[in-house]
Amino acid sequence: MIRNRLLKFFIISILFFSGCDKGISPEPEGAQAGFSGTIFFTGAWPDSIARTHLVVFKDPLDSVSDFNPFNLRFVSLEIPYGSTIFNYRSLDSSSFSSIAAGNYAYIAVAQSKTPDLSLNRVDWLVAGVYYSDNDTTKPGILIIPENTLITGINILVDFNNPPPQPPGGN
Amino acid sequence: MRNLFLILILFTSATLSQNFSIEGKVTDFNGIPLPGVNVYIEGGERGAATDERGSYEIKNIHAGVYDLIFSIVGYKSKILNITVDANLKLDIQLETAPVQSDQVVITAGKYEQKLSELPVSAELIPAEKLSEKNLVNLKEALRYIPGVNMVEDQISIRGSSGYSRGAGTRVLVAIDGIPFYTGDTGEIIWEAVPVNQIQRIEVIKGSASSLYGSTAIGGVINIITREIPDEPVTYIRTLFGIWAKPSYQEWDWSGEYRNYYGLTLSHSHRFDNLGIAFSLTRLNDMNYKQSGFFNRYIGFLKGDYKFSGTSSLTLFANSMNHHAGNFLYWKNSRNALIPPDADQGQTTRANRLMAGLLYRDLISDNLFINIRSSYYRTNWKDETTSRNSSTTKLYRTELQANLSISENIISVTGIEGTYSDVSSNIFGNPDSKGIGIYTQADIKFDFPLSTTFGLRYDYSKLDSIKSFSDFSPKLGLNYHLSGNLILRSSAGAGFRAPSLAEAFTSTTASGITVKPNPNLKPEKSLSAEFGINYQPNEYINLDAAVFNNEYYDFIEPSIDSRDGLVFFNNVTRARIQGAEINTKINFLSDRLHLSLNYTYLWSRDIENNIALKYRPRHIFYSSISYSFYNFEAGADFRFWSKVEEIDDDLANFIPDAEKRVDVYVLDLRGGYNFNSFGLQLRVFVNADNILNYNYIELVGNISPIRNYSLSLELVF
Repeated sequence: MIRNRLLKFFIISILFFSGCDKGISPEPEGAQAGFSGTIFFTGAWPDSIARTHLVVFKDPLDSVSDFNPFNLRFVSLEIPYGSTIFNYRSLDSSSFSSIAAGNYAYIAVAQSKTPDLSLNRVDWLVAGVYYSDNDTTKPGILIIPENTLITGINILVDFNNPPPQPPGGN
Repeated sequence: MRNLFLILILFTSATLSQNFSIEGKVTDFNGIPLPGVNVYIEGGERGAATDERGSYEIKNIHAGVYDLIFSIVGYKSKILNITVDANLKLDIQLETAPVQSDQVVITAGKYEQKLSELPVSAELIPAEKLSEKNLVNLKEALRYIPGVNMVEDQISIRGSSGYSRGAGTRVLVAIDGIPFYTGDTGEIIWEAVPVNQIQRIEVIKGSASSLYGSTAIGGVINIITREIPDEPVTYIRTLFGIWAKPSYQEWDWSGEYRNYYGLTLSHSHRFDNLGIAFSLTRLNDMNYKQSGFFNRYIGFLKGDYKFSGTSSLTLFANSMNHHAGNFLYWKNSRNALIPPDADQGQTTRANRLMAGLLYRDLISDNLFINIRSSYYRTNWKDETTSRNSSTTKLYRTELQANLSISENIISVTGIEGTYSDVSSNIFGNPDSKGIGIYTQADIKFDFPLSTTFGLRYDYSKLDSIKSFSDFSPKLGLNYHLSGNLILRSSAGAGFRAPSLAEAFTSTTASGITVKPNPNLKPEKSLSAEFGINYQPNEYINLDAAVFNNEYYDFIEPSIDSRDGLVFFNNVTRARIQGAEINTKINFLSDRLHLSLNYTYLWSRDIENNIALKYRPRHIFYSSISYSFYNFEAGADFRFWSKVEEIDDDLANFIPDAEKRVDVYVLDLRGGYNFNSFGLQLRVFVNADNILNYNYIELVGNISPIRNYSLSLELVF
């Protein structure tokens, strides 16, 4: 009799808890914000380059302290050495994080001579910068609305004509 | 007549000086041998523990009248008043009594004390719990201890710790009294603990710095290993488990059922005064997370030599070879069981070796000497973009003397020294040294009051950082208001020196850059506790405690606003207050056991008036088990409330970092003992997280999903 009651108790308990939610769940499909585009390379790749990435900073790089991991919001997977054209999509090309909706002040193709993924400013040089509205006088702003994939974030890398370098480089 | 008198004197003195032994077997109500039962003579150091067959033997006992005590967690202690004038054989049966509070612990005062006489809150976990839950990692067992919660590998007793990715610990974990933290990171390598060699685990809640020094600021966990039995014992354990499919199709990254398995082989043999035991464990887990796999070998060797009935030397060595994936956090909530693209394929390799030497000598009836020395070498290497590696050697020696000043006063005095030498590309090549001197006196009065006075001095020097030193005093009271109502209270100061990792880490991993802080200072605490234990009858035990811990110069990971880099800093004046209520009940003639445990934590960063990171406010654990002859079944339920605060800056790196929930975990288990068939064979079946509830302990890390396991234990 007691065993039957215990059995009932367990079954009722399991059914009760089974009726609860499943805890953490995935975000709905298509809900993720992101951006995509193409990077064009012209000129000869320097021999010394060890790494090339597309990077996105939240705030402008006005001083060396702005080059910090908390301002850095996106690093793409490594762009193969010698590429002439590179198509990317942030949702499947993220090195360490997806990007959230919001405004981003500096989008660039950055290259490093160190084989490791360093976050020291001196290890990097900027090979190309994203400009919006054909205005090459200042870096373009990337605006990513909620739940939207922004396309056409294209960048030209001209190794013969590098863009202005942010503070703190060699 | 004179000759007769002389003969009588000679005979009497010969009898008195002769040594005898007591041996026998301890079984439970069903005749099943009970391993790990403490059998000892009250008031002395002589004692033994039963082996796998339930057998024990105590040698070199002088003729006399003694109280012989049989004690093990989960059973009623039995006290026999015996007259020793010849070798005795005593076979004993113990009755189950999970509510019983008179267990013996050695951690609280560094000598054997009854649980009911301690001024602090303590818990015991018998090895049986590890077997019946098919556990291969000690940290999984700790998740069920009242007042304890884990954030991945980081243990927190009553909210003492948040999460700092293995850098430093506020809970001292020891094996047979020898601290088990690493010399570089100061972390606990839970997976290296040889689970099959554990006899019991003792947990002391609250600061124990007055006796154990720096890392015991939040409590102590002491792993007591098995004694080597007199008869040869071979033990084989196999384990096979399978991970269920994830709750959501999006998370099913592998499209297959992942599995895990383990095999342990151990043997022990005694040759007169020399005992040898060894075990080898192989564990493999494909894991439910991509890059969550591990392959592991754990070796354990223990040897003891008994010079006499009162002195012995024990050597143990524990090693682990480990190759594992490096899952730091998820790619995003739609890809919750795979890491970011750049982290895929990254692994870690580690080799760890700890060797310990313990010398025990009962110099006289009043003086007991204990020397503990250890060498702990750790070597690990990240096969990741960071390529971090570290090799550390930690040396430690402690001399402890227990002196029975009178029948009612026992003092424990000791001195210990540590030296750590690190060679790494993440911490540099620093070294550290420290020395601690402690003394504690336990005084019992005729009215049922026990008092504890303790004081410890610590000196610590971390490489180039300015040295620091401090005193940690303690006062404890235990008062038996009546036969079944016990009051306890303790207050003291604690101290924790930063680990080398907290002071000198310099690395970048998965987008997070950590820099050293040579200005780091030790953190300090003031803690107080008041507890009450009420046992109205042998079926019910109620225990309640309130506690208040004040922390100064709390060390936490933080962000340097000047450069945005992570570093460890003395950032917080913190206060952790709370209450704990634990109930144990047994019904149906000890067949049905129920425990209910609730902890309320109010943990605050006082300067910023916010909750401390990674501390739940409510923790509730319950367990029910039912045994009927050779069959047993049980269920364990855990709840803790959603943590209020995490590192906000993690949201910059970890997508969907805000996804945190209350935690509900239900585990089911069953087992059968084939003892009735003449086999020392046990089978256990477990279904963990049977509801397949998805939760996290650490941001971006789904905790173990539903899994099923089967284990077989064979002893011959």
